[in-house]
Amino acid sequence: MTPRSVAPALRAMLARLRRATRGGLWRVSVADRSMAPAILPGDWLLVDPTVTRWPRRGAAVVFREPGSEVLAIKRVVARPGDWLRFAGGWLRMGPDEAWLLGDATDDDLRAAGSGGSIDSRRYGPVSEERLVARAWLRYAPLRRIGRLPAPPVDLHLRSAASPSPFAPPEITPGEGAAPPRP
Amino acid sequence: MSRLSRWLAPTTRVHAHCDLPCGIYDPEQARIEAESTLRIIEKMAANNDAAFQTRAIHIKEERADLVKHHLDVLWHDYFKPEHLEKVPNLHELFWNANKQVSKVKASTDAADAKRLLEMIDEIDAAWKATGGPEKTRVAGRPG
Repeated sequence: MTPRSVAPALRAMLARLRRATRGGLWRVSVADRSMAPAILPGDWLLVDPTVTRWPRRGAAVVFREPGSEVLAIKRVVARPGDWLRFAGGWLRMGPDEAWLLGDATDDDLRAAGSGGSIDSRRYGPVSEERLVARAWLRYAPLRRIGRLPAPPVDLHLRSAASPSPFAPPEITPGEGAAPPRP
Repeated sequence: MSRLSRWLAPTTRVHAHCDLPCGIYDPEQARIEAESTLRIIEKMAANNDAAFQTRAIHIKEERADLVKHHLDVLWHDYFKPEHLEKVPNLHELFWNANKQVSKVKASTDAADAKRLLEMIDEIDAAWKATGGPEKTRVAGRPG
């Protein structure tokens, strides 16, 4: 490896470090377990607060929770313009809205002694002005350092058959496409 | 190590929120607040003092908000999807009762508050039909 090839990587690393120390990346710790198993209580994450739009579906985001105004972390399940199956009908996200859910199933949470995840099933679509940051990587504990794992594949389809309007929804990616007729 | 970890430690906490339910539920809680709104409306009719009226309205709003809160906790936390089999109109009961609370806020008619009590009693019946008294109250309370 020549010094010439090392230099750009080193420069990029330094740039990232500068951004981090200037507040370009935030360090946050996680409380509660509604994002288990991907993100666990006690995890230390680096999050990018420079995002201004809802990131892609499946990304974990930090936002100000409607009602309580505390900083919460959940996963983007539907983005602006997406349709989602909800309460026996279809719900369309507004131009700045996202549907945010926790990863953990209610059964898993109950087994861990908690109630259900508090997310869009409770407070509805979340507007973009509440978006604070996008979760980027975990830097502690050492054993699980690295990029955050993707959501479980069947994440939000698992109880679509449930008659409850609070059941996790089915998603149809948006861009103005009309939902299929039931 | 401790200096390093102090330097690396996060400055902000984010919540992957979930409920931490105490497992105690009873529609009585909502009913007591709803009874307050009824009694306030009755007292408002009997006293025209401006300061009294202002206070009464303020307290009625407050109690009505508590009714909504207690109803919501029952709806979100006590009732589970499987209860819908026993009480198919569950969501309608809560929807209508919460709408009625809004009506009571805007109203000075005792009939509106009485109607709210009836709706809470229907929810109480649903709570009883799903085993609420045995499962979600501590046994041994004097009758």
